[in-house]
Amino acid sequence: MSLLKSFNSYDSRIVYLLLFLIVTIPLLSPMGLPISVSPSTVTYYEVIDALGPDDLVLVVLDTEFSGYMEIQSGIIASMRVMVERDAKMCVAVSHPEATGIPELVFAAIKNTVDEHGYTYGEDYVILGYVFPNEAAVASAAQDWQGVIHNDFYGQSTEGTFLDQIHDWSDWTLISDYTTGIQSGSLINHFGLRGTPMIVNCIGVMISTQMPYLSTGIYQALLQSMRGGAELEYLTGHPGPGMTAMDAFTLGHYMLIVLIIIGNIGYFGTKENSRRNVE
Amino acid sequence: MTDPVELSIMVVGCFLSMCMFSTLYGKSSPLYSLAEESYIGFATGLTIVMNLMYIYNTGVVGIQGGDWILIFGFILGIATLLRINPKYSYFSRLPIAITLGAQLGLSLRTQIYTGFIDQIKASIVPLFEGSAKTLIYNWTTFICVIFMLSFFLYTIEIKGPIKLSAKIGEYLMYASFGAIFAQTFMGRLGLFVGSIQNFTVPPWKKPILIACMAIVLVALIALDKLNLLEKLTPEE
Repeated sequence: MSLLKSFNSYDSRIVYLLLFLIVTIPLLSPMGLPISVSPSTVTYYEVIDALGPDDLVLVVLDTEFSGYMEIQSGIIASMRVMVERDAKMCVAVSHPEATGIPELVFAAIKNTVDEHGYTYGEDYVILGYVFPNEAAVASAAQDWQGVIHNDFYGQSTEGTFLDQIHDWSDWTLISDYTTGIQSGSLINHFGLRGTPMIVNCIGVMISTQMPYLSTGIYQALLQSMRGGAELEYLTGHPGPGMTAMDAFTLGHYMLIVLIIIGNIGYFGTKENSRRNVE
Repeated sequence: MTDPVELSIMVVGCFLSMCMFSTLYGKSSPLYSLAEESYIGFATGLTIVMNLMYIYNTGVVGIQGGDWILIFGFILGIATLLRINPKYSYFSRLPIAITLGAQLGLSLRTQIYTGFIDQIKASIVPLFEGSAKTLIYNWTTFICVIFMLSFFLYTIEIKGPIKLSAKIGEYLMYASFGAIFAQTFMGRLGLFVGSIQNFTVPPWKKPILIACMAIVLVALIALDKLNLLEKLTPEE
């Protein structure tokens, strides 16, 4: 009876402490639990794998720094593939906190960048914070040259591959890494007009993004950190995603166990209280 | 040899993150307040600087390039700031009205497609062509849409087969809410794992993480035992 009651009404701090330990211990000492690759990640990989030197990709880091922590594996793995395929990359951000992220990502893939002679200005440009709201996204889709003049470092974008961009139709692909800040605007002003889009979103957003995959606005959807880890596995470059998967898996096991315990407690005490009333 | 700048960023970041997590202790704490106020201060400062850079890069550079119409943007921006002066605050209504109108106009035009027409189109799927897997997927979509729509029939009395259909629709929705809950948990866990992972890779960060966790936990328990937690927490 008392055990069932405690199952039904345990201190929530115990859950926090357990979760803290279950996440931290595997990160401090990884176990290497196996993972499988989902079909959605394979589709995503096929899209970025098909890119070539003539392709122009608008990479939008549509996230705050906290969100970046969840999807960094997807960002790093995707941008590594784009560098390997020599696709031209323009990196824009839609949140002030994200302005430091492009440099972190390029530092993480420095070896690949050096190996492929991928150079700033010629192969990639970092624009910084250029998509603060829907109006900015709409203007860039309509008249790129009228809105984008300088890169993040204050240098003119004239003379770079961005000279080829005039409106939404000149992009080969929009690659959006999102916590939902401007993803709707990118859909409205690029995706809906016909620019191919792929998205890596945080876990909370997956259910809201699925319909855009079904309607064909997105070509592929990479799901949260889990998708990033699968992409790392597919590309053969283990990184932050794969090392986090132990904690991720154990965290989910813990949730399942807690749901079972909570339900046993709930139904057990319900049954007991019914008997007492009778 | 670790870069001293990176080391100090790591120590401060890790300590403040652990202070943020101190909210899980269930009592107000000065450590949480320290982290919270620091974050708000840093984030506000960064936002102001980045927005000024944005105004310079898209506005000032544009005007220098001969795009004179952007001057209206500056005038409207200054008019917005007049809100702080009660005498001239009415000027701010104009830019706010323009902004709201433009925003609504931009999103309404497209929301009809992305949020409505395209969603309906995507649920109209071929039921007799494609591979076995596609057929299963399409039939599931078709049946689930019918059952769930029947749950939302409000203008007729729900009885007989429609009642059964509405009940099945209700349970299908519970199943989808369960999936959404699981994805939400995955998302929150992902944010947590990502932030902790930031303090464990590369390995030289691990002792700092453990030290910060221990310091914050010991400080919390000690302050609680001495009844100082609420006393030292600044009032909102």
